[in-house]
Amino acid sequence: MLIRLENDHFHLVEDRFAPVGEGEAIADTVAVILSLSRFQAEGEALLAAGRDVGVRMAPADRVEDLICDLPRLALVALDFPKYRDGRAYSSAVMLRETYGFDGEVRAVGDVLIDQAWNMVRCGFDAFETSVGPNAWAAAARRYRHVYQASADHRPPAFVERSQAARRLAAQEG
Amino acid sequence: MFQYDAIDAAMVADRNAEFRDQVSRRLSGELTEDQFKPLRLMNGLYLQLHSYMLRVAIPYGALSSAKMRALAHVARRWDRGYGHFTTRQNIQFHWIKLSDTPDVLDYLATAELHAIQTSGNCIRNTTSDPFAGAAAEEVDDPRVWSEVIRQWSTFHPEFTYLPRKFKIAVTASPRDRTAARAHDIGLVLRRNREGRLGFEVIVGGGMGRTPYIGATIREHLPAEHLLSYLTAILRVYNRFGRRDNLYKARIKILVASLGAAEFARLADEAWEAMDRPRADLPDVELARIRASFGLVDFRTLPPRSERFEAAKGDKAFARFARNNIVPHKVPGYGIVQVSLKGIGEVPGDCTADQMEALADLAERYGHGEIRVTHEQNLVLPHVALDDAPAVHAGLAAVGLATPNINLVSDMIACPGLDYCALANARAIPIAQAISETFADPDRAEQVGELKIKISGCINACGHHHVGHIGILGVDKKGEEYYQLTLGGSGAEDAAIGHVLGPALSADRVADAIDKLVDVYLAIRQPQERFLDTYRRTGVGPFKAAVYQDAHQA
Amino acid sequence: MTSPLKVLTANDLAGGQVVFLSETGWSDRYADAWIFEDPAAADAALDAARAATLTLADPYLIDVAAVDGLPVPTSYRERIRALGPTIHPDMGPQAEGGALVEALQQAKGAARSSGRLGLIRRK
Ligand code: SF4
Repeated sequence: MLIRLENDHFHLVEDRFAPVGEGEAIADTVAVILSLSRFQAEGEALLAAGRDVGVRMAPADRVEDLICDLPRLALVALDFPKYRDGRAYSSAVMLRETYGFDGEVRAVGDVLIDQAWNMVRCGFDAFETSVGPNAWAAAARRYRHVYQASADHRPPAFVERSQAARRLAAQEG
Repeated sequence: MFQYDAIDAAMVADRNAEFRDQVSRRLSGELTEDQFKPLRLMNGLYLQLHSYMLRVAIPYGALSSAKMRALAHVARRWDRGYGHFTTRQNIQFHWIKLSDTPDVLDYLATAELHAIQTSGNCIRNTTSDPFAGAAAEEVDDPRVWSEVIRQWSTFHPEFTYLPRKFKIAVTASPRDRTAARAHDIGLVLRRNREGRLGFEVIVGGGMGRTPYIGATIREHLPAEHLLSYLTAILRVYNRFGRRDNLYKARIKILVASLGAAEFARLADEAWEAMDRPRADLPDVELARIRASFGLVDFRTLPPRSERFEAAKGDKAFARFARNNIVPHKVPGYGIVQVSLKGIGEVPGDCTADQMEALADLAERYGHGEIRVTHEQNLVLPHVALDDAPAVHAGLAAVGLATPNINLVSDMIACPGLDYCALANARAIPIAQAISETFADPDRAEQVGELKIKISGCINACGHHHVGHIGILGVDKKGEEYYQLTLGGSGAEDAAIGHVLGPALSADRVADAIDKLVDVYLAIRQPQERFLDTYRRTGVGPFKAAVYQDAHQA
Repeated sequence: MTSPLKVLTANDLAGGQVVFLSETGWSDRYADAWIFEDPAAADAALDAARAATLTLADPYLIDVAAVDGLPVPTSYRERIRALGPTIHPDMGPQAEGGALVEALQQAKGAARSSGRLGLIRRK
């Protein structure tokens, strides 16, 4: 199942991307997802042919290696081989914040409901999970407030506080 | 004392609601133990040797009387009438039921307490100076910065699944009471020549299997950039720290393998790439947090208290004043240290009655503040010297007036095999035996400062690596044995201790300590602490004394 | 070599206390523990305990040896777990005392590494 986050709304979508396994031939669907090494070898040709290309990054792959290609990529899939491996959170934040990637950032692998809020806050907007979209949305929004600025651009507590203080001052003024 | 606002309270309430739901899903069978275990750990609930243990965070070791009473209530209502203060300035309850935990957490929340991030591979409770706001030599109140870090690290989305746990210490005094150099990150706040506040940033210290003293990667990070720079360090660690081997996953291993200079370069690179104004805390929020601590309304008193001086006519009080009370930044006040190391007692344990008595004394004589030290003692940071005799009497009435701070019987001991499922050997009975050996307070004072630290396994929760004398429990052919190390320090002169020789059986440890102390007394020079003598002479004379009769063992 | 005797232990899920499988179900008392002589039967009981995920956490088998005819866990860790914290004799199963508790408290010198299962009583 693939859940997409669009305009603050979580919903199920059809996955139009075909994953290409290691050693497999590239399907002739329009949209494919390749591993980083496959992409580095064959991506250029696919992009030139006008295909939609996504790259699947293992936790140890460095997002720095994608910088030049990011504007042409449809999506970056970040793999969680085990949910406890948190490297993909930093990759996601860097894609969004450091490199300004605005394509899809997809969570794949061991994608569990208890990490929904981490993923959303770090800038993921697509989730390959067996959880339904409503349950996913509820888990992602479990906390009414957040303490830090992150890639989801929710206002952190200190912004909420200063806004509240300003409102109060305006009322009193 | 920091006060929650509605947002802080909502954060804890949301977390407690989530955990209540997770507990009920576990009890109804919807979650398996494998799925549930990491969730309960993230809420501080461990399954130990005999039972569940709940670890409650005491942010930067600061308690109010109300919080202390809440802990007493938990001990009495849901546990067996006591709690255990840890080397991380937290408290552990050793007999909590899983089915009670949601109620316990809701109750704790009413006193602004929680168990969030007291376990798991996340950023843990920040260690800080128990003398904060009271020590004359501090350049700023380190609690303010610890609270900044508490908020930033709570439910940090990027840093909840780090390679391993992560501990930060903040101190603002030249005297380090936090073991900053033995933390993943140690922050030492100073003013530079222009008077600007900045942090010395120390990275990669730690204990465990491979102990390291941290390396300084920045001499003076402007204080206003604390959060962006911490984010940079954590990002480098999260990305490149090892995840293939539990024992090599702490940041100390990354820093050691890259070298401090290369680690610093990577951190700087990550820092440069960051949108810093967005990552750093705005000045108004810093000012708000500072104000949330409120001001202690000290009285204007003469520096010398006649009542205090007169009370020293009583030998017991005089001894207590000598060993447990240190000068305060405000004239006429003292910092009263409360030892949880009564002779033959369990280091760090405190009964519900004692907690309540302390809460009362703090309220009556100490502006309602209590601190927990990483050496498992408590502190009443603001006591007028005039009131010290009354405080002493109140402490004595509940068995808390042991006058042994920094002395040989003021030991750190982890719970060891009496509670901990990971232990190789017991730690507490060893501490008890040593403290009985040095029960004579005159001898203890003659020996002077001596820090003994005991761990029940190589995880080193008892900080044995940085003990002047460290004791590590090992399993040798199915028996409890203890390896001694000498020369460690967790203070500003931080060092890792050296192994003295082959491990000793349990019944020989206290005697060996006795011999080490005798050697020290025989060869020390004026003003030398045990540690200084060891550093001067090396291991030779100490080793000879302990192992001279080894062939008889 | 005869295979060691086994006892099946776990923690109660809701309460957390240490429990042992007895002939009539799970008990808080080590004294009630069922001593398995047949390793296959012990393994079967362990599988059943693993399936009982609604009531138990972390079931596992421990090795036991006879000391003066009394079954004593061969590792000191398991002896302490069967007794309760040694610093609080009033807590845990040890509080009720008796010959078996005493045997556990006095056992010494488990032979985990040598494979011998003899335990000696501390004088
Ligand atoms: S040092 Fe080892 S025995 Fe002691 S509390 Fe830590 S893990 Fe347990």
